[in-house]
Amino acid sequence: MSSLEAVILILGMTAVTYIPRAIPAVLIDKMKFGDKVEKFLKLIPYTAMSALIFPGVFFTDPEKPVIGIAGAVAAALLAWRKCPIIVCVLAAIGVDFLLYLIL
Amino acid sequence: MKKQFLNGVRAGVPVILGYIPVGIAYAIMARQAGFTLPQTCGMSVFVFAGASQMMAVGMYAQGASITAMIITTFILNLRHIIMSVCIMNRIRNESTKIRLLSAFGVTDESFAIFTTEKEENISIAFFLGLITSTYTSWNVGTLIGAVASDILPELLTASLGIALYAMFIGLLVPNLTKNFKLTALVVLTALCNFLFTRFMSSSRALIISSLLCAFIGVFFVDLEEDTNEQS
Repeated sequence: MSSLEAVILILGMTAVTYIPRAIPAVLIDKMKFGDKVEKFLKLIPYTAMSALIFPGVFFTDPEKPVIGIAGAVAAALLAWRKCPIIVCVLAAIGVDFLLYLIL
Repeated sequence: MKKQFLNGVRAGVPVILGYIPVGIAYAIMARQAGFTLPQTCGMSVFVFAGASQMMAVGMYAQGASITAMIITTFILNLRHIIMSVCIMNRIRNESTKIRLLSAFGVTDESFAIFTTEKEENISIAFFLGLITSTYTSWNVGTLIGAVASDILPELLTASLGIALYAMFIGLLVPNLTKNFKLTALVVLTALCNFLFTRFMSSSRALIISSLLCAFIGVFFVDLEEDTNEQS
């Protein structure tokens, strides 16, 4: 890729990535939320995270769905027992590593 | 202030395990697609959006135009408007300048960590610490991939693919153990998103299912009871 093309691409991508992130930073002063909207905003992290996990996790390894499922189950069990997040992450990686050794 | 910043840095540690291998994968793809080393790293420094960068270099390899790559990036990043509203709502008392700086660090991961963190731990210093972790690891990953493509054994790289999912699960599940209605909402969202991804791109499906289900949740989920029990 030529330098000019790269500069245009990077500048363009920077703009279209930064602008959606920045709009709320500027407009939040003008936004006053009622109780219902506050509740809506508090629920978004849970729904968004659910959508980030499902169905993507099943395609962690598109050829072996068991990789995603086993890792997710390991993380979920530990998270349920209130283990720190890093423990959940390391356990999921460990389980998948073992599975790859076996499969 | 300093302590809160460090707490934020620490909260970002689980992300490192996810970002470094994804950064490596992105950089390898970029180099193979014909990006030079400075171009590959420059994109991570300025753009800082994993999925978009992967998509862009993949499109370039297939001969897409620069305009098409930029438009796709824009569509892929629309979800960050929603995430940024949630983050900015928690730091609304900060100056616009500080908020504009924070906006650069809005990613799926920083959003997930920051918006589920307990109210009393929330501060601008925490968020800046958090995005220092995420931004650094993304760029370190990119640099590793750009200079030495096969530094990690294949088996390990494959196993690290679960890292970010495991982090989202680790953030989400503890909030569900005592709140049945919230659990029901999370399951509903998962099913909706499962359905929507069959008909549209996954980034659009994510926007629609998370907004739609949060709206539905307003009418039946009880959040206050849960936060009281947590603290």
